[in-house]
Amino acid sequence: MDTTAPILEVSGYSLDYATPAGFTRALDGVSLGIAKGEVLGLVGESGSGKTSLAWAVMRYLPAGAKESGRISLAGKELTAASPAEIDAIRGRRIGMVFQDPGTSLNPTLTLGEQLAEVLVRHRGLSRKDAWAEGEAMLARVGIQLPAAMMRRYPHEASGGEKQRVVIATAFACQPECILFDEPTTALDVITARQILDLFAELQDETNVASLYISHDLAVVSSVCNRVAVIHRGRIVEQGPIAEVFAAPRDPYTRMLLAAVPRPDRRVIETVPEPRADALLEVDKVSVIYGRKPFLAALLGRVNTQFTGNREITLAMQPGEILGIVGESGSGKSTLARALTGLHPFEGQIRFGGRPIHGIADMDRAYRRDVQIIFQNPDSSLNPRQRVREILSRPLELYGEPGRGADKAAIAGLLEQVRLPADFADRFPHQLSGGEKQRVAIARAFASNPRLVICDEITSSLDVSVQAAVVALLVDLQQRHGTGYLFITHDLNLVRQIAHRIAVMYRGDLVELIDVGDLAAGARHAYTRSLLAAVPAPLAA
Amino acid sequence: MSPAYVLKRIALIGYTLFVVSLIVFAITQILPADAAVMLLGENATADALAAVRVQLGLDAPVWLQYGRWLIGVLQGDFGVSMRTGQPVGPVLVEALGRSLLLALFAILLMLCLAVPLGIVAAIRRGKATDLGVSVTSYIGVSVPEFVSATLLILVLADWLQWLPATGYVPLTEDFARGLKHLVLPVLTVSIILIAHVSRMVRSELVDVLHTDYIRAARLKGLSARAVLFKHALRNALLPTITIVALDVGYLLGGVIVVEEIFALPGIGRQLIVAIQSRDLPSIQAGALIMASTYAIANFLADMTYAWLDKRIQYG
Repeated sequence: MDTTAPILEVSGYSLDYATPAGFTRALDGVSLGIAKGEVLGLVGESGSGKTSLAWAVMRYLPAGAKESGRISLAGKELTAASPAEIDAIRGRRIGMVFQDPGTSLNPTLTLGEQLAEVLVRHRGLSRKDAWAEGEAMLARVGIQLPAAMMRRYPHEASGGEKQRVVIATAFACQPECILFDEPTTALDVITARQILDLFAELQDETNVASLYISHDLAVVSSVCNRVAVIHRGRIVEQGPIAEVFAAPRDPYTRMLLAAVPRPDRRVIETVPEPRADALLEVDKVSVIYGRKPFLAALLGRVNTQFTGNREITLAMQPGEILGIVGESGSGKSTLARALTGLHPFEGQIRFGGRPIHGIADMDRAYRRDVQIIFQNPDSSLNPRQRVREILSRPLELYGEPGRGADKAAIAGLLEQVRLPADFADRFPHQLSGGEKQRVAIARAFASNPRLVICDEITSSLDVSVQAAVVALLVDLQQRHGTGYLFITHDLNLVRQIAHRIAVMYRGDLVELIDVGDLAAGARHAYTRSLLAAVPAPLAA
Repeated sequence: MSPAYVLKRIALIGYTLFVVSLIVFAITQILPADAAVMLLGENATADALAAVRVQLGLDAPVWLQYGRWLIGVLQGDFGVSMRTGQPVGPVLVEALGRSLLLALFAILLMLCLAVPLGIVAAIRRGKATDLGVSVTSYIGVSVPEFVSATLLILVLADWLQWLPATGYVPLTEDFARGLKHLVLPVLTVSIILIAHVSRMVRSELVDVLHTDYIRAARLKGLSARAVLFKHALRNALLPTITIVALDVGYLLGGVIVVEEIFALPGIGRQLIVAIQSRDLPSIQAGALIMASTYAIANFLADMTYAWLDKRIQYG
């Protein structure tokens, strides 16, 4: 690709944010260029400054930000542009696609209005013409009934449809450059795939210069020509995708690449012993959300019930890692809620041979044996308790009497999750995301459980932190022989760690398959489409 | 907004008013007053008292008395005042009209001032304007209406002699004089409203201006004006609508005090007179009318909210 005349050029750009404690450096001497028709991937972990760069290009910086260096669009210097010039460039010459279409669209305006207003503003169309043009744009981005979609409000459209509207808006004025800020992160795997396909198509057609910001190296490798790796505000490595991913020069890039889950790199070697007595048997478990039909009828509503799980049947051996995958709303977490007694269920669970018919049967012994770790440690750890208090609670409940206050016991738990013993005196907010999740893991293991349910426990973590947490889980599994119900939407990750995979779709368990057999091909159509949607593992 | 939703809300109002009627009736039963004694005086004979009780239906069981009263109310008959012997309904409705006029002007003034003040404070967040609006609002919220009423009378009526201190002239009779008499009561009532609502608009707008969709609107290159009036304001005013409806509750209470101070013959004043003279039918009717006003105000607020925010579909 010709990079001699970049559309967007950033050179020696540094940015500092003003904080009460002084200036913090967000970007440090960043230089990059994107030519016409080129897609540059900007890869980095949270806090690396990748989104700050997007704000800098859009000239959307907080008061008191200090910057140096240059950002130019087709020769026009943006850092020196007047507010009026910036207004004319935003949306007209530089478009932007945001991470979460759920929050980036105004809930009280129709989708059509939010698309058409850009055309009215920047292309001087009349409202009527803009509306017609908007319909054509929606048809172009693959919306089935564009005229109807124009009249809908954001809450009446799916996540994928909303993101298509946002993309149509970004492309509406034929900009020279578009910034994509993690455009598929908030979407389900299959929807994300469709959005990526749409992106590639529009990219080919319009020859726009794109900056594709993402934390996901697999996605970047599939849609970008070149990649820039950003770490703590500095671009540590930059070059064509194939070169950087095949032969990374920078140690940080190497670490990042090594942390990306790859199905062919199994992290678990053991195979659970095939035993006659299963650890957990789930027999025709159904979960129904919503009001009882009688009450609903009384209130004049036709049907308020929603089936979260429909007659799920599965079994787990002791020490087995069973992965559960599926898109959001497929019932993965619902099953976790039923198994931990957080929601009533119909059907039967047998744990270690003991029948559990409902929440009432989940006694202390059951709760000791079945523990859960949640997705977001920020909300699952009490912010007003020190780590010591958080960990002493399960020790008191399930351990020997008086063990809760035992310093050695808490230090032992922390040591198990590879945290220093003096973390006991810290509050959750004094820990990083990965450290917090380790505390949550330690809390779950405090009762020496036989089954730990991991509900998307790595999805809020950076890829390198995720790799460390997964390694920790594998280590604990080998030490204690614990079984895991590992719920995730990341198919590559689950193929690394699980023995078997249960695929869920709209409340049903559609397939239960050995990880080894997955490569040979899945039987169920949904599993196949899920596999096809996952970005190909890195080429290297 | 589905018809089912509207019907459900109307049914809910009916239910609310039914409960209110029960409570109101129960309270008047508990009041330490014997209607017969009130009518005939302390020195009436036992026979005469008994005769009056039979005549008023007070000898019937309580539930029967309630039933009769309720059926009358549903037919628009609130009974006869024990004080004046006149039907209660027409008198109270006329008084309600005067109070609603006062409330209407107060709400209009509030909308004209509070919303712009809130917007200006939110846009100039952290600057002198914002601080000025905030401090003034704090003072406005904290001063009770009998204090502000007294101060207003002192300055505008007593010292400056611009406005009449008390009294009421119907607008139909003499429009200009009628308005003059309304200015002080309206000002008094609206001070707290303006202070409260402008603070509300400010904080809601500040929140909305920090949302992703406002950022997205700005990054689409829309003008600051379009971002504010088209994208931000509607979302910021939604919670304010609910607050205004709740403020109607305050308004009803405030009206009682303000009408008393300014000798304005509205429903609040009627209620005070009724309570002082143990005029049970008037108390019952007045309380019920006030509760209805409050319920209807909240109903209107919910309808407006649902109309502006299409996501609302209460289950």
